[in-house]
Amino acid sequence: MRRTATGLRAWLVQRVTAVYMLLFIVFLLFHFLLAPPDSYEAWHGWMRNSRIAIPASVFFAALLLHAWVGLRDVLMDYVHPLAWRISALALLAFSLTAIAAWVVRILLMGTA
Amino acid sequence: MRLSIFRFNPEKDEKPYMQDYEIAPEQTDRMLLDVLVRLKGRDDSLTFRRSCREGICGSDGMNINGRNGLACITPVKGLKEPVVLRPLPSFPVIRDLVVDMTRFFKQYHSIKPYLINNDPPPERERLQSPEDRAKLDGLYECILCACCTSQCPSSWWNPDKFVGPAGLLQAYRFIIDSRDQATQERLDDLNDAYRLFRCRTIMNCTEVCPRHLSPSRAIEKIRLMMVKDSS
Amino acid sequence: MPVGALTSITHRVTGIVLAFCVPFSVYLLDLSLRGPQSFAQVVGLFDHWAFRVAVVVSVWALAHHLLAGVRHLLSDIDVGSQLHAARRSAWIVNLCGVAVALLAAGALL
Repeated sequence: MRRTATGLRAWLVQRVTAVYMLLFIVFLLFHFLLAPPDSYEAWHGWMRNSRIAIPASVFFAALLLHAWVGLRDVLMDYVHPLAWRISALALLAFSLTAIAAWVVRILLMGTA
Repeated sequence: MRLSIFRFNPEKDEKPYMQDYEIAPEQTDRMLLDVLVRLKGRDDSLTFRRSCREGICGSDGMNINGRNGLACITPVKGLKEPVVLRPLPSFPVIRDLVVDMTRFFKQYHSIKPYLINNDPPPERERLQSPEDRAKLDGLYECILCACCTSQCPSSWWNPDKFVGPAGLLQAYRFIIDSRDQATQERLDDLNDAYRLFRCRTIMNCTEVCPRHLSPSRAIEKIRLMMVKDSS
Repeated sequence: MPVGALTSITHRVTGIVLAFCVPFSVYLLDLSLRGPQSFAQVVGLFDHWAFRVAVVVSVWALAHHLLAGVRHLLSDIDVGSQLHAARRSAWIVNLCGVAVALLAAGALL
């Protein structure tokens, strides 16, 4: 199980998140080209709409998972001393988790 | 013809160095190996491997003007001068253009490069349909010259853990062989973070293969088989 | 370096660049939703040339990473995984990434 988690499953996570992000970015591109939000009210209202906030949250989840797999690959290639590698991976995991919490606060809990 | 050749004799030299040679071309010089053999006649300390001189034995893999290839099937015509010859990159150098292939063959053996079939052997050979046999085309032709693995960045960073393109091409050759019964074990063996999944499809392997095989495609096919297998 | 190798290492470098962009983008998203004033502050960032240059570089990184990613996804399912097709698609990815960056530069600079 542990072996699959780091081999095929990580690869699948990278691919699936890539496809979702691709679709979402194409959607964003069209939205901003066709109807750019021209005021705070328009932008705020759009982002607070759950029809956007939920797919956007999924986008950030995909982004952070994708970044984890990709940066983990980079570290596995270039950082070889075990202590350094474990520290780097831990720092990466911590940073991504912190960003995830931040995004949840912004998108799902709303700001004051 | 001007050449610049990597020289290193660990018994004499502290450090490797590049030695320049100038040799008048002769009519018989068709391939780079022809020139090297004549050079060796002049300077017998120059060391390289060669055997069949027709691209089948895989002995004379080397880095020619920055690109791995076999000296015996690299035409002299069209080579930019000075022709810079180095041993296969990232492999330990034994002497001059001769490298230590131990790790390369260890990875090759790790994929069990032989048919695994526990059925009692039939009286004559195990038969295969022409279609099943055709699946091995583009795979069995590998001569294990190591040009691909030596030019693969993923192999540079993790040569002891990543099987490398040559080994993975052979892994696929046995995975899809209709006579082999260990498909599942073979797929499971490659499914960790390193053995296959260090591949980033850079495709240097396919770029340099002197036999025009495609290890990168074989690796993609193994991954697809793993996906089908896991669903 | 073969063109595919250039596409590949640039895919890796742009991935790292984009990863560093993530916290900044999240910060800007946070700021833009806090209220009309901070929203105006985010919009006002575009008045600084350094910010616009950073945006153009990020757009290039995103375009290259995304196109190279699509190339990999297609190659996975046997589209363009032969050597000559892969070389051609590598060129297309490298050039289109730059073209998108030039479009962004034209619009912003």
